[in-house]
Parts: sequence; structure tokens; C-alpha cells
Amino acid sequence: MKPYHFFFLLMGALTLTSCNEFLKEDPKEILPASDTFENDNDLYLNGVAALYLNVGGFNDSEGLQGTRRGVWDLNTFTTDEAIVPTRGTDWLDGGFWQGLFTHNWGTENSAINDTWSYLYRSILRCNVSLERMKNYTETTGTDVSGYRDEVRALRALFYFYALDLYGRVPVFTSPDPDNDQLSPRPRSEVFDFVRRELLETVPRLARDRSNHVGTYYSRMTQGVGYFLLAKLALNAEVYCHDNWTSTPRPDGKQIIWHIGDTTCDTWQAVSYFCDRLYQLGYRLEDHFENNFLVKNENSIENVFTIPMDKQLYTNQFTNMFRSRHYNHAAAIGLNGENGPCATIEALKAFGLGTQAQDARFNLTYYAGPVNDLKGNPVLLDDGTPLIYEPWQVKLDLSSSPYEKTAGARMKKYAIDLVATKDGNQSDNDIVLFRYADALLMQAEALLRDMGPNETSTALVNQVRTRAGMPALDNVTLDDLLDERLRELAWEGWRRNDMVRYGTFNRAYTDHPADPDNHTIVFPIPAIFLNLTAAPQNPGY
Amino acid sequence: MKQRLTATAIALAACLAALAGEDSPTAVDSVAPDTPNLITEKMMNDKQVTNPLEAINGRVAGLTITRGNNGVAAMQAVRVRGTTSLTGGNDPLIIIDGVMGDLRTLSSVYPADIESFNVLKDATQTAQYGSRGASGVIEVTTKKGATGRATVTYNGSYGFSRVAKNLKMLDADGYRRAVDERGLMLIDLGANTNWQRVLEQTGWQHDHHLAFAGGGKDNGYRVALGFMDHNGVIVHEKMRNFTSNMSMYQNMFHERLKVELGMFGNVLKENTAIYDTQKTFYSAAAFNPTFPAAKNATGGYDGFTYANQINHPLALMDSRTADKTTHLSTHARLTFNAGHGLSVSAFGAYSHNEVQRDQYLPTTIWANGQAYRGTDKTESLLGNITLNYKVTTGLHNVDLLALAEAQRDTYSGFCTTTTNFNNNDLGFYTIQAGALSLWEGTRSYRHRPTMTAFMGRATWEYAGRYAITATARADGSSKFAASHKWGFFPSISGAWTLSREAFMRRATWLDNLKLTAGVGLAGNQGGIDNYASMYMVQPMGVVPVGVNMAVALAEARNANPYLKWEVRRTFNVGLEASLLKGRLLANVTYYTSKTRDMLYNYTVPTPPFTYGTLLANLGAMSNSGAEFSLGITPVATRDWELNINANLTYQHNKLLSLSGNYHGYDITAPQYVAIASLNGAGFHGGNNNIVYQIVGQPLGVFYLPHCTGLVDDGNGNLEYAIADLDGNGVIDIEDGKDRRVCGQAVPKLLLGSNISLRFRQWDLSVQINGAFGHKVYNGTALTYMNMESLPGYNVLAEAPRHRIADQTATDYWLERGDYANIDYVTIGWNVPLPKGKAVSRLRLSLTVNNLATITGYSGLTPMINSSNVNATLGVDDKRSYPVSRSCALGVAITF
Repeated sequence: MKPYHFFFLLMGALTLTSCNEFLKEDPKEILPASDTFENDNDLYLNGVAALYLNVGGFNDSEGLQGTRRGVWDLNTFTTDEAIVPTRGTDWLDGGFWQGLFTHNWGTENSAINDTWSYLYRSILRCNVSLERMKNYTETTGTDVSGYRDEVRALRALFYFYALDLYGRVPVFTSPDPDNDQLSPRPRSEVFDFVRRELLETVPRLARDRSNHVGTYYSRMTQGVGYFLLAKLALNAEVYCHDNWTSTPRPDGKQIIWHIGDTTCDTWQAVSYFCDRLYQLGYRLEDHFENNFLVKNENSIENVFTIPMDKQLYTNQFTNMFRSRHYNHAAAIGLNGENGPCATIEALKAFGLGTQAQDARFNLTYYAGPVNDLKGNPVLLDDGTPLIYEPWQVKLDLSSSPYEKTAGARMKKYAIDLVATKDGNQSDNDIVLFRYADALLMQAEALLRDMGPNETSTALVNQVRTRAGMPALDNVTLDDLLDERLRELAWEGWRRNDMVRYGTFNRAYTDHPADPDNHTIVFPIPAIFLNLTAAPQNPGY
Repeated sequence: MKQRLTATAIALAACLAALAGEDSPTAVDSVAPDTPNLITEKMMNDKQVTNPLEAINGRVAGLTITRGNNGVAAMQAVRVRGTTSLTGGNDPLIIIDGVMGDLRTLSSVYPADIESFNVLKDATQTAQYGSRGASGVIEVTTKKGATGRATVTYNGSYGFSRVAKNLKMLDADGYRRAVDERGLMLIDLGANTNWQRVLEQTGWQHDHHLAFAGGGKDNGYRVALGFMDHNGVIVHEKMRNFTSNMSMYQNMFHERLKVELGMFGNVLKENTAIYDTQKTFYSAAAFNPTFPAAKNATGGYDGFTYANQINHPLALMDSRTADKTTHLSTHARLTFNAGHGLSVSAFGAYSHNEVQRDQYLPTTIWANGQAYRGTDKTESLLGNITLNYKVTTGLHNVDLLALAEAQRDTYSGFCTTTTNFNNNDLGFYTIQAGALSLWEGTRSYRHRPTMTAFMGRATWEYAGRYAITATARADGSSKFAASHKWGFFPSISGAWTLSREAFMRRATWLDNLKLTAGVGLAGNQGGIDNYASMYMVQPMGVVPVGVNMAVALAEARNANPYLKWEVRRTFNVGLEASLLKGRLLANVTYYTSKTRDMLYNYTVPTPPFTYGTLLANLGAMSNSGAEFSLGITPVATRDWELNINANLTYQHNKLLSLSGNYHGYDITAPQYVAIASLNGAGFHGGNNNIVYQIVGQPLGVFYLPHCTGLVDDGNGNLEYAIADLDGNGVIDIEDGKDRRVCGQAVPKLLLGSNISLRFRQWDLSVQINGAFGHKVYNGTALTYMNMESLPGYNVLAEAPRHRIADQTATDYWLERGDYANIDYVTIGWNVPLPKGKAVSRLRLSLTVNNLATITGYSGLTPMINSSNVNATLGVDDKRSYPVSRSCALGVAITF
């Protein structure tokens, strides 16, 4: 080889090397994922705090509440508590809302599929965080078990919603699950997993309040964990029912819990967890409406909330925006979509127009004429007053004289007059868990355990008298279901309650009885089933 | 060995240049067999074109130009041989004097500056541009100075455009009657307003262009200045464009060295009150016609709250969007002719493009008002070095070429948004008048993709009869995974000139008959994002950290560490013929292509993927087609000349697969993926998807329930009766149930034709373009025929007669989209001038654009998006601009 040949070869090699250097991507506006877990602060911020961004949201089907077509809608507009009537072309939307109300949804429903993706995206991100924490501990020797517990508890929260909505779901703790791990598990196994994770981590979480501004604001703390455990225990019969379309439901007394050194059945477990909430200092607010104020961060009753601050967070709350009549919204300087309202069944439960009308009706709904900020009546475009007609509601209002005005509208949250994004970015924290619910859960567990009893009656009456309603005698399970509707209307629990009570598939106004009970869970997205060749939920 | 070493040296030089930031590339002299797709000025559409693409519309088979029906600075969708990629990168590459640009750059060039277009379609032709030319290339050569007398040329045009067709909605009386008859709430403010007319105006336009050119024995120059001022047919719509184009060349050292320099710059200002096309035209058609077209006594606009999907049209016209694009590009080329057929050429170009967008949405249409200001900047550096060796030995001609090039683009920008305005007077000039700045309203970015390539090409030609060209090309792109950055794309083509064979000598009527064929691979990376192969995090939102706030970082998408090139294999064969001394020219081409490892944001399941889409190389797609073009000159005498040119393109596309194995996971695409759906009142979500992407079908098919007719709904109205296609006794119009594929959105056959007639100094030219074999969904009629929309939304004048009270999307409103459009008619007069005077040429012309459309389509126009795979494909949904017609008088003077 002549020297100059060698020279050219060398230059050639250098050329290729420098070309590869030239082609290397050098991002400036985003960071490699590995750079975000370099110290304890980063670890907390990007490994823990970032996961809470998944609790709320602004895109459709994301967030546990506040957005459209997500967890809350699936839990609310499929029930006898709230309805989205078709109002001419408004809210027709290709039959989506009618389908929810009449339980006619297929396996290609994008809201159902997107909600699944949202829940599993949240779970996967928890898994990624846990994996990175493990690596962090291995490389730096720092103990981050407190963060690990918090993330595991948060992951259990998302698994809880997946279990409740979809029944048979995959359970995995790896950030890269393989095909075996992706195979959906029987419902009782999912239940066991969520229970195990919570029982192990919750006692080690902070005892601080999650809904109060401070170090633990909007985070998983003991209170949130115990509330979730109480929900899990209360619905244990449903969650342990592996073949819900074909076999009888298991008996709650046979579902055994081991909590620390205590062994008890599931009804006793509910009581145990609700007691823990009391011990942590959760109490009823003096006034029902205090929980829903614009600045509701000081509530002693709220347990878990989605933080809202229009200057800071992107979380949105569309429930009020969607419900208000256009002119009503305009009168308070916001926008409205004139949609969802209370069902006939809800009106009956509140005793609307009767001597015994519940005091919470006017705190929960707008009905009849409404006023603007100056106290003047809100007018329709033709100059006549806007009058909401609660009893005129029906599934399809098209061509009805009450097409645009039928239905009692959502009022529960105080109006934030400087809300932005059409009124969807307000400062009221969105209430996910509330102590009044815990009292009612405890009452229900006792009723299911021993039948009508004084403690249950007393617990329910605590909630009733706080609302200014007379105490009931000898509360029954049916009384309790109505009470739950009155106290917890629009809070996203109605589907869960109806399934547990076995009333989800019964006939009610505009909802003919379902031929079977397969709709108590939603179908698993087909694209996911294709991957694992797993069977669809029964009945779909 | 020598060749290889030289190539290496070239590569080295290119890389060093690139690293030093003094890049250079592109444009190699074409030695390919002469191209039938070269369009010189003579062959361009000679109407008063304002967008260069109009000059070649309908002139080249296989080149589809769909006029964007959206205002004064309409952007076109341009396709060379159809859509071959799902991800994007379907726009052909635009090369202006060797400098890369895009459709936007091209549309800012003054048409009178263009000397020729060359459309490159197959793999061998586009090989020199590599992956950037994967979707075809349009080479634009601008005019240069030349040796000889200095000339000054003025081109001007003066004209106007007016709306020719609107939707016929109910007038105020009809609306009152219809609302009363149905017992609905009538809000009657007593006026009779045709809102569509209210938003329209006569759009005056004038263009001026001045060019100076000249040169000596060894040099030449040309300087051109242009100015366009167009007002749209919708009020407040305005476009102004200033262009300047300079070029010069100098030969030195006895023509051993040639230096060429060029600089192009323009400032384009566009103003409009349309921030959402659909909202504007939906409002203009459907707003209550009894409302007066004026503000009310309190200075605001009367609202009609039942119509919450639309706005008072005048309130919409109070919004302002102003775009200002500043573009500058410069290039230089040095060509050294070493003698003995060897030459070396170095080319470098820099371009800078900046778009500043200002927008204000007043409180009357946007709760609390919103102002936006943002700037997007693109800088591009490219450089290349080519080495060319030509040798002729006897009957053999050999041409060897080596090329090395590098390119670096820098994209950067920022924007900010404020909201909560108390008054609408300050707008975007003073964004601090907004009380609230949302966290997500302020952003900035910067990314810098790079590409580099090496190419070798050899052409051998024998006796003017046989030619073979082989190309080998390696392309590197920064956007792919570390181990997959390079792709290798060879191609080969051949040509056989039959007419020069001995056995054809007797056919004297035949001037030229040539058979061409080629196969090759082409890589594509257009349209994909940067960093897609890397696990990256970005700010996701603000989270409380104790009592403080912090921005948390997280992955915002799935990463694909295996990302690689998309590859398209093409084959083409063609026959071109020239007969009777050029009186008859004919050309037939057949092509097929198959795209594999198709880059696409595949729908993937969650879990295991965190997000619902993954940019990956899984699917495949095929395209095939045939192109015919014919040019006939039946008459050519001193006084009379008639030319007829026509081309037909048949195209067929098929989506072969969207599934595959992604590293252990079998990804099965959803069977039905919606592309385009209906919007507006009552169309949110649900079963309103119209156009789908379905494996085994062409891209963009209509997949709809079948309507068997209109039936009584029990209330004296009619509704669409839907067939139980799956025969299960239940009507369910969800995907996979009672729906069927019933047509495609992309035309099967495209026609371009031009007839020109000259009589002495007078000439007449007519251009007719057409598209056939596709369908258009008339979502506009579906919406505006629904009597249930009343009283919030007005309906078509004919709607009350039809009594339809339903807006379920079925195939009832799926119509044939076939059309033939008379694009323009021009009459010109070349004024006879005495020889030797100052003015050497004077031409006057009169052009009418968009004269008529021949179609069976019942809506406003069938000329909607039929090629871009996006949310508007094939669906006419309340967003069509009114059909307008323009008329212009043109003057061209050469001194």
C-alpha cells in the first residue's frame, strides 16, 4: 500500500466518523429522561409530583373528574342520577349520550376506549417512576421508600378505577409488561392486588391532609388511602364476583380481610377504614356548600381533591359549563353548553315540589327562574325569563317546547366569576373523596352486616341534620341509596352505587330494563385484546 | 480506485464544510434522458397567474395541483403520482435555482421570474435529491441575464374577483314562516340579512413586475422587482407581496471558471378576519337572517344563544389574524472546468424564513378575549460538491458523477398568549392588556435536524440509441435511531430510442420514438418529528410542591429506538413519440410503487405503550397509475395556429397493511380508523365519522351507513331510513356494524387540458381541468337540510319542502365528485410594433379565471380537499369558501 493510499483511507474513515457526529441529534428544548432523576429534588418532582398531573386533566377522557367523556361521565350519565338529553341538534352527537343513558355502547366506543388508555397510561407512568426510583436507590444508596409507597398507593388508585369500570383487567408492575403480564386477570385477582398494595402502603403514608394547601396538598396520604380502602371493601362483593353474568354474587361476610393483626369480614373492614378517617380528624363541615366554594381548600370534610388554579394548573372542570343554559352562563360572564340535567328519578329522590323537599335540592340544582349577578332574572333571547323546567326532562327533547329549558341544572360548585377557558378553569378544587361519603359507607356496611340498626341510622342522620333535614327512623338500605343520591349527586359515585345495589340494569324513566347485567362493566378496547388474544368481557 | 478516492475526498470536503457551518448542496446538471416534463415559459399557462403553481396546473400528467379554496394566498396541495406516505412528506420537493424550498416559498416567487419548471417523477430522476425528493421534485429555474442587449420588461395586471355562487339559505320571511310553522321560539329583529353577502366584497387586485437584464461576453445579470396587492372576496382579506430576485454570472480564465450568484427575497403580508374557516362560513350560512347586519344600540352584537356553535358573523369579522413572512435566500455556485470533460462544482445556499403571526380574538367571540403573538423561524444551510467526468469515445458517451452534500436546518420560535381583556381596542398590539397569562400559553422551541448524502451516478449512452443510468446513493438523517441513520437507495433506468434504429428508418413520419424504463428505491423521512427515537422528557405542567409550584417533566410520547427509513420501491415504463414533424406528441407512462417500513403514527394499545400512538415502520402501501399526454397541432400556418394539449392520469392507491410485529408485540391496527368527520351542532363525537383509513382499501374511503330512503318519523317529518347491513335485526351504526365502504375520496382519473388558438397577433387559450371517479360527502347539505336545526341555525331554502328532521350521517348525502372546471380563458393581443423602436414587445391580455364548473355535485363546489389525508379529506362540511370568479387585464411591455 502506497502512503497516499493510506492517507485517503484514513481521511475516509474520519469522514464517516464526522458525518455520524453531524447526524447526531442534540436536543436543546427537551431533556433525556435519564437526566431527570439525578438528585432527590428531581426524583420527587419528576418521579412523584408529575404523576399527580394524571389525576386531573383537560383533554377529553383524561382525569378522574372535570373533563368530558371520561371516568366521571361513564360513572354519571349511565345512571338514574343525571342525563344528557338531546335538544334538537344540540347534544345529539351521533347518539353518544343517548347510548350512555340506555346502556347501548359497543366495543368501538371511543370514550370507553380512551378512558381505558388514560387509566393505563397513568399506571404505566407510575411503574416507570418506581423503576427509576429502584435504579436511583441502587446507584446512590439513597432510601426513597417513602416516595415508593406514595407512588404505589397512587397506582392502586388508578387500578381501583380500572377494576371498577372494566372488571377483568391486566395487573402488572413493570414499565415494560410482556404479553403474559398483559393478560387480563379475573376480577377478584385485581381486587386482591389493589387491596394488598393499599394495605401495605397506606399505613406508612403521611397522616397530613391532602386537600389542605401544604406539603401534602393533593397527594396520596393516609386519609385518601383509607377512604379508597373503604370503597374497595364496600364493593368487595362486586369486585370478587368473577363471573358476574352467570353466577351468584359472593357474600361479603365470606370475604376476609387481614388488616395488621385484625381479621374481619368486608363489612367490618369498611367500618374499620371509616373509623381511621375519623381518627385522622376528618369531620363534616357545618355547611354542605362549604365543600364546593371557590376557595374550598380549607374544608375539614373533603378528603381528596383535584387542585384547581387557573393561573397555575391546566386542569379543567367542565361539569357546570356543560350544564348551564347559554343565557344563564352569559348572564354571569361565562359560557354554557345547555346540556346535562337531573333525571326524573333524581327529582323524586329529592322530593321536588313536595312538603318534604330536600334542602340540598337548591344547593345542588338550578330549577325554575334564575337570576344574574345583579339579581335580575335571566332572560331568553326573546325577552321572556329563562325558567328551568325540571319535570320536562326526557331523553330526546327535540321539538318539545322545553327543548332548551327542560331539566334541573348543576349548581353544586360556587361560581368563580373570573374563571377562564369558557368558565372551565375555575379555582374550586374538584372534590373526589368526601367524609360525608365515608359516613354513608359505614352506615351501609353495618346495614349489610346486621340489618337495620341504630348506629347506621345515627350515621345517616348526621349527614341529614347537617343539611338541615329531619332525622330518619330506622334507616333501610333503600333509604340509604336515596340518601346517597341526595348527598352525593354529581360526585361520580352513582354507577358504583347502583351496581352494588343491583339496580343498574333495572327500568327507569327513558331507560328500559337491560336484558342482562353485562353492562355493569364496560368492554375492554379491541385493539388491546388483539395484542393478547384475551377474551372480551362477557356479553360484549 | 481513483473514482472511489475522489468521492471520499469530496465527501470529506462536504462534511468539513458542513461542520464549519459553511455548507453548500444541491442541483446537479441533469444528464438523464431528455425529460418530457420540462415546462418552458412558452408552455406555461399564459393567463395572469399570481401563483407559480397555477402556471403548470394541468400541464403535466401525474402532477396533481388542488387549489386550496381558502382565500387570497391559497395554499395548494400538490402531489406527484399520488400520496405515497401516510406520515407526511407527500409534498414534492421544490428546488428554486438549486436552493431547496417548499410550496410556500414557491408561491412567493413572482411567476414572471420563472423560466422553466421541470417535474421529476421516477426514482432515477429524483435520485440526485435523495429522500427529500421521495415524493417527486419540481425544479424551478428563474430567468437569468444573457449576453446581448439590455432589456427592461414590465408586466402588470389589474383585475378583480367576485363571488359567483353562494348557498341558498332561507331568507328572513322564509325563516319566520318555517319557525312559526314548527311552533318554535322566533327571535325576530325585523331585518332581512343575507349574511353570506354581508361578508363578501369585490376583491380588487393589481400586480406589477419590473425586470432588468443584460450582459457582456463573459457575464450577465438580471434584477427583478415585483409587487402584488390582492384583496380577497371576504372582507378584511388582504395579501401583499414584495419580491426581489437578483442573479448574475461571470466567466473567468477563458471559461475555465464560472461563478453564479443569486439572491431572492420577499415580504409577504396576509391579513384576514377568518381564524376558523368553518366557523366563519357556518355562521354566515346559518345565522338568524332576521338580525340586522349592524351593532345594536349598546354597541355590541345581538347574540342568539341557541346557536352556540356559531357567532354573529360581523362579530367574527372583528377578529384579526396577521401573518408576515420574511424570506431571504442566497446561493452561489463555482464551476471549474478542468478540461478533458472533467469539472468540479461547489454549491452553497443559505435561506432564512420567518413567519410572524399576530392574532386577536375579541370578547364578542371568545370568552374574555385572547391575543396571540408568535414567531416561527427556519434557517437552512446546505452545501454540496460534485465531480463530473464526461467522455466520448466513438459512439460511446459516458458521464460519471459523484456528489457529496450536507444540510442543516434550524427551526426555532416562540409565542405567547394572553386572555381576559376588558376592551377590544388594543388587540395584539398590546398583549399586556390581557389580565391573565396561562402557563400553557407561552412556549418556545428550537430543533436542528441534519442530513448528509453521498451519491455516485454513471450514464452510458451508445450511438444515440441506448442509454443506461445507474445511481447509488447513501442518505443519512439525524431523525432516525443511532444505528439506523443511514439508508442506501440505488436505482437504474434505461432508454431505447427506437426511431434511430435502422429498421425504423423508413418511417419518415416518425420523428422520435423512445422507450424508457426504470426501477429504484427511494427513502423517505419527510414529516416525522425530531428525537422520536430517544427517550426524552419535556415540561408537562405545574404541580404543587409543598406551598411552592414547580414544573414537572415527563415523557410526552412513546419513543421508538428502532426508528428507520421508509423505503419506496418504484418501477416505471414509458413510451414517448413525436410524429409528423412535431405536430403530434404522445407520451404514455405506467408506474407502480410500493412503500414499505411505512413511517406512521400507528395506533398502539395502552398498555404496554404509554401513549396511544407510536411512530414506527410497520405498514405498507402501494400506488400505481398510468399517465397519458397528447399534444396536437392540427393547424400551423403563418396566420393560424391551433394547439391542443391534454393529459390524463389514472391513479390507484391501496393501503396494504398497518400491522406488524414491533419488538415482541404484535400490533394489529384497528380495522377502522377515522380520518375525517363532521363538525358543528349535534356532531360532537358519536358516529359522525365519514372518511376512514381501512386496510385493503385506497387511502381515504367513505365508510357509512346505507340510507334506503326517507321515511316518516311519526311527527310528520322525514328521517333517514338505515339499512340493517349486518342483518342482525338491530340498527347500529357504530364502526363494524351497519356500515359499508362506498367510494373513495381521492379521484381515480385526473384531466388537464389546454386549447390555444392563434390568429395573427391574436390568441385565445382555454384551460380545462377535471377529476373523476371519486365522491364528496355533502355534510353541508346534511346539516342545512335538517329542520331540527331551527331556530338556532338557518336551513337551506329548499329544506322546508323536504321536511327532513334528522342529521344522521348516512350515504344519502354521498355524491359523485366528478367535475370539469374551466380554469381560465385568456384572450391576448400582441400589438404589432414597428421594428427598431424602443418598445420591442407589447402584449395585452384579458383573462377570466374559474369561468365555470361542470359537475353533478349539488353543493357549492366539488373542488374540496381530495388529496391531503387530513380531517377535511372528501368532506364538504360547511367550510367551503364561496365560489369566486376573477377577471384581469394584463399588460406586458419589453423595452
